[in-house]
Amino acid sequence: MVRAMEQYLRSGIPSTPFCPGCGHGILLGLVLRSIHALGIDMREMLFVSGIGCAAWIPSPHFNADTLHTTHGRAIAFATGAKLYNPKLRVMVISGDGDLSSIGGNHLIHAARRDIDLKVICANNMIYGMTGGQVAPTTPQGFTTSTTPLGNPERPFDLCKLVEAAGGRYVARYSVTQPLALMESIKKSLSFKGFSFIEVLSPCVTQFGSKNLLESAPKIMEWAMEKCIPREEAEGLSREELEEKIITGEWGDVEDSTD
Amino acid sequence: MAWKRIKASLPPGRYYLSGNEAVAEGAIAAGCRFYGGYPITPSSETMERMAHRLGQIGGIFVQMEDELSSIAAVIGASWAGAKAMTATSGPGLSLMMENIGYATFTETPCIIVDIQRAGPATGQATRVGSGDIMQAKWGSHGDYQIIAVSPWSVQEMYDGTIRAFNFAERYRVPTFVLGDEAVGHLRETLEIKPWVRVFDRKKSRGRPPFDSKNPRQIPPMPTFGEGETLLVTGSTHDGHGIRRTDDPKVHSRLVRRLNDKILLNQQHIVDTEEFFIEDSVLTVLCYGFTARSALTAVKELREEGHRVGFMRLKTLWPFPHERVAQLSQGVEKIFVPEMNRGPGGRGGHEIQPV
Amino acid sequence: MSKTVQIRFGGFGGQGIVLAGLLLGRAATFEGKFVAGSNSYGVAARGAACRSEVVISEDPIDFPQVTIPDIVVVMSQRAYDLFSRQVAKGGLIFYDSQFIVPRRRRGMVEVPATEMALRNVEEKRVANVILLAAVVAQTGIVSQGALLRAIDESVKGKFLELNRKAAALGFHWKEEIHER
Repeated sequence: MVRAMEQYLRSGIPSTPFCPGCGHGILLGLVLRSIHALGIDMREMLFVSGIGCAAWIPSPHFNADTLHTTHGRAIAFATGAKLYNPKLRVMVISGDGDLSSIGGNHLIHAARRDIDLKVICANNMIYGMTGGQVAPTTPQGFTTSTTPLGNPERPFDLCKLVEAAGGRYVARYSVTQPLALMESIKKSLSFKGFSFIEVLSPCVTQFGSKNLLESAPKIMEWAMEKCIPREEAEGLSREELEEKIITGEWGDVEDSTD
Repeated sequence: MAWKRIKASLPPGRYYLSGNEAVAEGAIAAGCRFYGGYPITPSSETMERMAHRLGQIGGIFVQMEDELSSIAAVIGASWAGAKAMTATSGPGLSLMMENIGYATFTETPCIIVDIQRAGPATGQATRVGSGDIMQAKWGSHGDYQIIAVSPWSVQEMYDGTIRAFNFAERYRVPTFVLGDEAVGHLRETLEIKPWVRVFDRKKSRGRPPFDSKNPRQIPPMPTFGEGETLLVTGSTHDGHGIRRTDDPKVHSRLVRRLNDKILLNQQHIVDTEEFFIEDSVLTVLCYGFTARSALTAVKELREEGHRVGFMRLKTLWPFPHERVAQLSQGVEKIFVPEMNRGPGGRGGHEIQPV
Repeated sequence: MSKTVQIRFGGFGGQGIVLAGLLLGRAATFEGKFVAGSNSYGVAARGAACRSEVVISEDPIDFPQVTIPDIVVVMSQRAYDLFSRQVAKGGLIFYDSQFIVPRRRRGMVEVPATEMALRNVEEKRVANVILLAAVVAQTGIVSQGALLRAIDESVKGKFLELNRKAAALGFHWKEEIHER
């Protein structure tokens, strides 16, 4: 299986920069497997990313056109490229801080415009690359290097945000749900219109180490326990739900696949 | 050859247009097919005319959510193959700065039309100023070069925009049309000639898009979707775009080359215009709309018998150091009238002869 | 007519001051002249005092804005008060007598433009074109044909016919005055 994916990787790039236990490697593999499964020619793809760990998923690793941009602006760069050459299949892969904090305005406007972009937000709930500062996705109460007494603020529900802004295919999965996530990426790749997938991708080094989840198994177990599918969530009380992250699909994917 | 002669986009003849409208016509004539922008006084007429004209000819127009995304979309479109532009004014230009630096580092051809107004801050939105001269050159971080043309008439808003696109495509560099409110809103006779000379970026399959042996030579620019598996990044990179963020030699080579490709080609870029220089003991050095007032004043002074010369910078960046130094040899003083307080901040400055 | 003529229009926003300048500029361009024009901009042109200026010359124009106008055309008392003091020697001031009580007599040319507009076409918004046409008829800064062509190329929809009528009224405004 690893060999089968090699054709999608740029030659001469020795290894990924991701820490042991990082979820981004899983996501990297799932994106390529989805492209492979659909038989998409990488020459049709353009990958655009911003700044942060997740922005390194496509650049330099993917053997396709890649545009590694400034912090927060990936979607805006992608908008220009896609509008001028609609034949390009444009996928944006970046992090939660990049897409929803500094780039939050571009995210909601691209959803409103319904530009045919496939946006994958690798959410590790923290600023990993810069040393573990609080993000707009950090759950309330969790410790970061800029919230030493616990995060006093509420996090964004990114799927609700994008759906409200007009995103037509919106989904959330965890890297601990690889099969469902891969199906979702495939849907996004076949979807015509703005699609958004929030991928929970735990960060051991920055998020885990500050919140008693200091090993890869511990943080993955935490993610598995915390993420429950929509169907399961229906039977739970409000208090029980507060501790959970609901995964699944939103929007109206049915009306617009290839 | 990457130069070609194409028909102008309007029937040849004389038109009565505003400077901002002439910019749009110049852009269309030069082959611009992508506009991304955000409205701002006093530049918006360019945007409105581009929305109309690009709609007529099948180009792409998008009104973005802000100036940060406007220039980002322009850079994205440029890599997708478009001749692309935006237009703005001081506050918007401030917002674009990070991505203008990105465009210089990734060698992305793009046009930024800046219709200057009185600043700082919101300042006087409908009044003229020249407060972005330094911002245009130095506004983003790091060592880089840009090119700027400085039109003084509606005719030059048209011709200068075509020229700016040619510079951008030829040298793979963000190029500014540094106009101002006065020339942007001025209506004037515009002569449209039947033919336009335009330069299209060079392509060369497989050759590294981010390096050249001779720093005077500009690397070819492939486009997304051509199967070249392009790697474009704002981090320090080698000739193939591979990130090399820990090798000082790679950084030094790249930054030097990006500066040299403009500075060593100065003789093909810099353009000045001089009147009454031969016998002058005092010369007025100026640019942009101010030069219109200055020329009138110089002519009046000469009629009164004063030996005053006139030199105008048709391109502002790179700065024509050599020519200005030569000029200073023969005169007692050079006066520099500008609609800003000068680098000293005290209102105008005098260049003492060297 | 000297080689360069400077014209200044003044009134309040909504009277078509900017359009009058544009029409004159276009008309002069059609005649092969060098033309430069500028006007009040944005909020300044909407409701408040409004001005528009045109410089017409046989030669390329160095400084493109009006310094001392040869012709002043005013449609409000305020514009008259502001601009009537600054006119070239031997210059003319055309004014809409509906809105202006002049304080000087030399060089004054009365055109009851708004009154004519209301009486003849029941649309006071074309008073600007009546006034401009009167200026053209009196001074010959551009030909009547050039002004009509400028109107054809600048005005759209139902206002085109109205503006043509207004121009015809303005060209013959003296007869109108005599009839009264």
